[in-house]
Amino acid sequence: MQATTMNFQIEPVTHDTVVIRIGKALDFRNAADFKAAAQEQVRSGIRSFILDFNDTGILDSTGLGSIFSLYRQVSPMSGQVVFASVSRPVQVVVQLTRTYKVFRQFPSVDAAREALR
Amino acid sequence: MEVTRQQFNGLGEVIDELHGLFEEWEREEALLSHLDPDTIQLFRLAVHEWVANLVQHADFADRTPDITLDVIPNGRRVRCVIEDNSEGFPFPEQIIVQRNALTPFPERGMGLLMLNAATEYFEYSQTENGRRRLEFTVSSDADSCLDIPFS
Repeated sequence: MQATTMNFQIEPVTHDTVVIRIGKALDFRNAADFKAAAQEQVRSGIRSFILDFNDTGILDSTGLGSIFSLYRQVSPMSGQVVFASVSRPVQVVVQLTRTYKVFRQFPSVDAAREALR
Repeated sequence: MEVTRQQFNGLGEVIDELHGLFEEWEREEALLSHLDPDTIQLFRLAVHEWVANLVQHADFADRTPDITLDVIPNGRRVRCVIEDNSEGFPFPEQIIVQRNALTPFPERGMGLLMLNAATEYFEYSQTENGRRRLEFTVSSDADSCLDIPFS
């Protein structure tokens, strides 16, 4: 079942994995909402996150910081954060900040689902 | 060189207006067509980070915010001037503070560093009429990188 939490669509994959559809922007205007939505998932037992950037035109430093915050939270619990369907604006941020060293990338959400099952 | 000037007055709408402009420029393949797609995105990111900084942290006192954006295409580069009527920032000194304060996987404090990394050259100054002026260039030939600690 798909849920929408504070502007982010969240879709379960397994008992401990979800897809979060980032939508048009993850920036200083909604980073706190993203963080709250992700924390709610962690509290309910989710450990692995597939972030779908298919439609994303803006990822800024504050948005990236909120993803770092999620990573810091789940990585000690053997959780992971992966990127899927990365748009060009997001890819530019990933390249600039070298975050490809930390976050695995998949060409599609389906490919990420298969890898994380 | 042709200068394209845009003016913004509402802090609540400026980010949407800004990205609307970039989308229009990309659709029309006009203003930034001399740059490769990645450089256009890098330029868009640099402008976004500075304007986001203004929206979040600038003190406009009792003045109506007034921000102008000049875009000047120049060969494999694009030059940009952003002026505003705020009280200004201790910039670029703040970049050194942010760099020294970076912790592994930082949640905040990357904005100016990202702007610095995305740009080839930048200068922050005060104009004769008291406005704050940020000028920078983004180049297709630069290998930009922000060194974030991951451990």
